[in-house]
Amino acid sequence: MSLKYITPAERFKRYLPKDYVELVDYGPFGKTQDEAGPGNMGQFKELVEEHPMCSGCWMAYYIRLIFASLPCPEETVTLGTAGCGRLAISQAAVPFIYGNYGDQNAMASGLSRAFRIRFPDKTKDVITIAGDGGTMDIGFSMTMHSWIRGEKFTTIMLDNEVYGNTGGQESGMSPKGAILKMAPLGKQGEKMPATALAQAAGCVYTVRMSPTNIKKAAKIIRRAIFVAREVGPTFIHAYTSCNIEYSIPTEDVFADAKEKEKTRFQFEEYMTDAAKEVIERVEAEEKAASKARKAASKAEAV
Amino acid sequence: MYYVAKVNSDMCAEYKCNTCTLYCPEANTLMFDKKGNTSWVDEDRCKGCALCVYVCTDMLDRNCITMEMVSGKED
Ligand SMILES: Cc1ncc(C[n+]2csc(CCOP(=O)(O)OP(=O)(O)O)c2C)c(N)n1
Ligand code: SF4
Ligand code: SF4
Ligand code: SF4
Ligand SMILES: [Mg+2]
Repeated sequence: MSLKYITPAERFKRYLPKDYVELVDYGPFGKTQDEAGPGNMGQFKELVEEHPMCSGCWMAYYIRLIFASLPCPEETVTLGTAGCGRLAISQAAVPFIYGNYGDQNAMASGLSRAFRIRFPDKTKDVITIAGDGGTMDIGFSMTMHSWIRGEKFTTIMLDNEVYGNTGGQESGMSPKGAILKMAPLGKQGEKMPATALAQAAGCVYTVRMSPTNIKKAAKIIRRAIFVAREVGPTFIHAYTSCNIEYSIPTEDVFADAKEKEKTRFQFEEYMTDAAKEVIERVEAEEKAASKARKAASKAEAV
Repeated sequence: MYYVAKVNSDMCAEYKCNTCTLYCPEANTLMFDKKGNTSWVDEDRCKGCALCVYVCTDMLDRNCITMEMVSGKED
């Protein structure tokens, strides 16, 4: 896709669905984060539409945040797999590819390479967004090998520490001792060390976090995307609770995410020197551009 | 029968705040009206989780949002 492809001719607008026209007119396409980003969600038309994820689902919330944080939604493709998250990801106005269970990182490898050949003059962002089962269990070999090959795209794991979509089986990411519907005796093994595995496999930027601070969560998503454009594979391991399988009252979901931030999901950010260089450069450029825009609009107002 | 969130906009407009709109799990649901300086709920999209009540009441102690039983739409 591209901005040109998304934008309809003015005269054609009245024949298009209202939601689509609203997205073009009031959505984040072609806009900066100051105009339509996580900080002013609720004031522009967001990319994610209505979806069937559960009431109060923190995974649905984080997906909302991912889409609001995208540096360039009109040049982005997401890939995912079976699991709760795809129910919302597939309802966003960004192309989404859904294959066999767990093959998202294999598909993304081919896609990101093809984009670089087909559109050498453009920046296309490829992001896989999948559950803990899809990323670390059933899709494990494809996840690991994409990292080992150094494929340049972003992997986001929505870790709810369970197979939520299929009713509560333990996953490699469930914590030791977790009692789940289909692990009634409690999980015997340890939680897999996802970010350590990612680093060992060659990810150049990894973060483990519980998304409770919007600014920080958005910054991390963008860093992971910027670094993947230039340097190599990047990985975000995010806590996105399942209030159904872990019996968390919905009004306590945010408090639970804050509590997990102090325990299993303590913030951890790793980057190579090359990744750091990109982050510092891009963030300095963004800051300068934002300052220039503010100065320009002030001058206009005078 | 189910609950949806309702914002008391007179109370909400007293503050310079759009915090709850940033934490609703649903996109395009808990909106912010800049002119009226208040948040508001698109009730057809609200799933009744009450996370916004946690934000407004428990975190900010502003008590502007209540959960209310959906009533049938009048013709
Ligand atoms: C090959 C294959 N095996 C099993 C399934 C059934 N299945 C659907 S979703 C899922 C697990 C989902 O767990 P996770 O990836 O953690 O996502 P969550 O629903 O927890 O977000 C499974 C096993 C499938 N769709 N395909
Ligand atoms: S089952 Fe759990 S993870 Fe899936 S949508 Fe419901 S609350 Fe979210
Ligand atoms: S958190 Fe409360 S005061 Fe703040 S915008 Fe929401 S309803 Fe208004
Ligand atoms: S109850 Fe939940 S879905 Fe409804 S507006 Fe509040 S946070 Fe959003
Ligand atoms: Mg899961």
